[in-house]
Amino acid sequence: MKEFNIIIEICGSAGEGTISAGEILSRFMSGQGFEIMSFDSYPAEIRGFGKCVAHTRISTNRIYSPGKLADVLIALNDKHSISQLSALKENGLLIYDSQPPRPHKEDKSVVGWAKPGMISYGIPLNMLAHKAAGNARGMNMVALGAVAALLHVDQHGFTDSIKVRYGKKKQIVIDSNVNSFLEGYNWTEKNIKKIDPHSFKGMTPSKQKEKLIINGNQLVAQAALVANLSFYAGYPITPATKIMEILSRELPKHGGVLLQTEDEISAIGAVIGAGFGGKRAMTATSGPGFALMTEFTGLSVMAEVPAVIIDSQRAGPSTGMPTKTEQSDFNSAVSGGTGDCPRIVLAPTDTKSCYEATILALYLAEKYQTLVVVLLDFFLSNSIRNINIPEKPSSKYLDANIAPDKNDLKDYQRYKITKNGVSPRAIPGTPGGMFFSTGLEHDVYGRPNYSEAGHLEMTQKRFAKFNTVLSEAPAPEISAIDRDEFDIGIISWGSSAGAAHETVMSAQKEGINASSFSSMMVSPFPEKALIEFADKCKKILIPELNFSGQFASFATQILKRPVERLNFITGRPMASEDILQKMRDM
Amino acid sequence: MPFNDHYVIIGNGPAGNHAARTLRKKDKDAKITIISDERVPYYYKPKLTNFIADEIAKEDLMVNFLNSYKAKDIRIRLGQEVERIDSESKTLFLQHMEKINYSKLIIASGSRARVLPAMSRYANHLKFVTSYTDVMAVKEEIRKAKDFFIFGGDLVGFKFLRLLNSMGKTVTILIYPNAFWPYNLTDNMLAQITESLSKFKVDVIVKDDISIIDDKNGLYRVKTQKGIEKNVDMVFSFNGLIPNIDFAKGSGVDIDHGILVNEYLKTNVDSIYACGSCAQIYNPSIKSYTTSIGWPNAVVQGEVAAFNLLGDHKIIESVGRKYFDLEGVKIKTIWWEDIDDEV
Repeated sequence: MKEFNIIIEICGSAGEGTISAGEILSRFMSGQGFEIMSFDSYPAEIRGFGKCVAHTRISTNRIYSPGKLADVLIALNDKHSISQLSALKENGLLIYDSQPPRPHKEDKSVVGWAKPGMISYGIPLNMLAHKAAGNARGMNMVALGAVAALLHVDQHGFTDSIKVRYGKKKQIVIDSNVNSFLEGYNWTEKNIKKIDPHSFKGMTPSKQKEKLIINGNQLVAQAALVANLSFYAGYPITPATKIMEILSRELPKHGGVLLQTEDEISAIGAVIGAGFGGKRAMTATSGPGFALMTEFTGLSVMAEVPAVIIDSQRAGPSTGMPTKTEQSDFNSAVSGGTGDCPRIVLAPTDTKSCYEATILALYLAEKYQTLVVVLLDFFLSNSIRNINIPEKPSSKYLDANIAPDKNDLKDYQRYKITKNGVSPRAIPGTPGGMFFSTGLEHDVYGRPNYSEAGHLEMTQKRFAKFNTVLSEAPAPEISAIDRDEFDIGIISWGSSAGAAHETVMSAQKEGINASSFSSMMVSPFPEKALIEFADKCKKILIPELNFSGQFASFATQILKRPVERLNFITGRPMASEDILQKMRDM
Repeated sequence: MPFNDHYVIIGNGPAGNHAARTLRKKDKDAKITIISDERVPYYYKPKLTNFIADEIAKEDLMVNFLNSYKAKDIRIRLGQEVERIDSESKTLFLQHMEKINYSKLIIASGSRARVLPAMSRYANHLKFVTSYTDVMAVKEEIRKAKDFFIFGGDLVGFKFLRLLNSMGKTVTILIYPNAFWPYNLTDNMLAQITESLSKFKVDVIVKDDISIIDDKNGLYRVKTQKGIEKNVDMVFSFNGLIPNIDFAKGSGVDIDHGILVNEYLKTNVDSIYACGSCAQIYNPSIKSYTTSIGWPNAVVQGEVAAFNLLGDHKIIESVGRKYFDLEGVKIKTIWWEDIDDEV
């Protein structure tokens, strides 16, 4: 089987079915056995007709990142697509409406801006949509039909996918969409002389077992449900809202409770309250919401109450750019807030690990009686992958509370000093298990205590948890682990890790001896493993999606050596092409 | 902001490209745009057969690479078709309904394959080797096919025949005397060409015509009026070229077979010039319009059209080879000079 890799982008205005078309394309290709990764970008404003882009990468091989430049751009809207041409490869295919309803003024047509190496195929999208369904709504399906014909994709399989997508709609809707697709397919097959090399012919992989097509937010919600989440409180915010939407529907079915609060402060307060009451509880938010929660996060750590916060980062500061991805909450997640406030921070590196991280977060929060922050970002929350159906967690992860035994309850010390910092936790109502709980510094019973020795002892206790937490984290992912020395080592975190790993594969093909390192657990950080890795590397590169190099500064403190930084705040996910270019320049 | 001229050139062949290059040399500030319905940059059409045979790669086919347009600040719009010209408002209407205003216009849209009227009903069965797009559509098929039928027999047709022969294919050719349109081969010429072809492994048919082409089980059955029947994989038509000028109809520009221009390559409309194989050039000495073929002629015409558009008064002259060799028969490439065909 030949290696096949293609990126298709659909660009339109909100309401033109751009995202739906991308979804159908992804589902169909996944059903054909391809690996897919898709990522939509859309305007933050709920009203209006802003630019939407559905980006889908399709491959016969494992996909690590969405890729930067598209092979095919389907322009449903000329105005928006002109700027999107910069994301099309120099020899990419442009599919545009050759018979729009009104004439364009000079330079207002997307094809007028196509670079000379690009191959433009004009399809009368609007006209064919009217012919198929009497209106222009089916332009997206006409365009999909045109792409299917151009790339030699099986039309019958595609129409089945359309029927599935609109299966719950009225028959006339299904028929309109299928007919629009067929109009586009047949017209293109008859009228377009293909001169580009892109073709799915002979590329279809052998059928694999059924895969789940899902994004990070959906996986977080699914993981929370299988990990016995029983309470969720939250306030809607992009890009985390979907988690709450799903849980509002599903959590009650599992016997849980969802509370929409008046703001994020209230939400984290409710989560800590539920955690105190012995419930597995979490909230999901984004940077601005996380900032509001910061004061309360200290309470979770000080009072040793389990709490999980999912922070899906977006471009900031403040309201920032709600629908653009960024990795700029690292500092506030790892060290935001008051006092010496150790907390566990997990940063999933791909869609699938959003599931694993959520289960781990609920487990660790409960076991170590502390705050766990899971750092997603807009890209991880919204990018869609086809993955094997994830396994349910073992019983170990479902009930991790260390309850006091009879001896403990004889003289119950909620904050008893232990070797690993974890004290038996009595759930309120436990006979003999009464205790004080407060945000003030306290003694082993929870009573306020401001003595020098007491504060030191309790601070040490809270930090002692870090010593064992690391052993619970998945081992760092290191590529080309069998080699002893590398010219360049890439250290990455969160959603940039996929691009870093992919870059290493490309770099090795170019003869650059490189490796990559990433860890899902970023607080506490596996420092020993990082130092061992860095010692093998002549140069270190740290790519991340923030301006100031937050993680690079953090890593430099551990490594005590200079590192090369690569920082982007474009609002787009990290691209392996950019990392590779930086490596060539190093 | 000062107003700069916008020179638009329709066509991305030798005439169009040399016109654009000349305009840029003489006017550094003007906006220059080339519009072409082909989707690839300026390439050597005469080398298309070499490309089919994989003797050269796509890169070797290219004359101008894309960065050369950028370097000269010439905007090139490929795969975009001009639908009509409104010469009064100096506006081009593109097929995708974009309107482009021009100050002055050069039409260098070249030619396309001529389909004989009697053959138009078989158009779906016929293949051509006129453009890169044509070739890309048939290249792989040619490699796999064994039996070919060629009818007509213009310059490219005979070159293609040689190529198929070198690839070990079985070829039948039906020669039309008027395939080298607008030129007609004489009986004498026809006899010499037939004789010349005898060194190849090819069936030559003359003084006959096609009566039927039909498609059966992936094969084409070609039957001539004299009853010769061939079952082949592919049927190619080589019957010369006709000017590609449909978009100019109704624009007010005078048209015969091609765009009519004077010896300065100017049309009857003030701001519009034409050059290359789409133009019919007036020859004062014979008081008639003539056409030209061949790369060198197109190059010179493109340059002259550009000079004159900028205010010069250059008269077009023929250049390069004055004859093409058609299987040993020399045929003149220009019709406005007093030279004879040579047999």
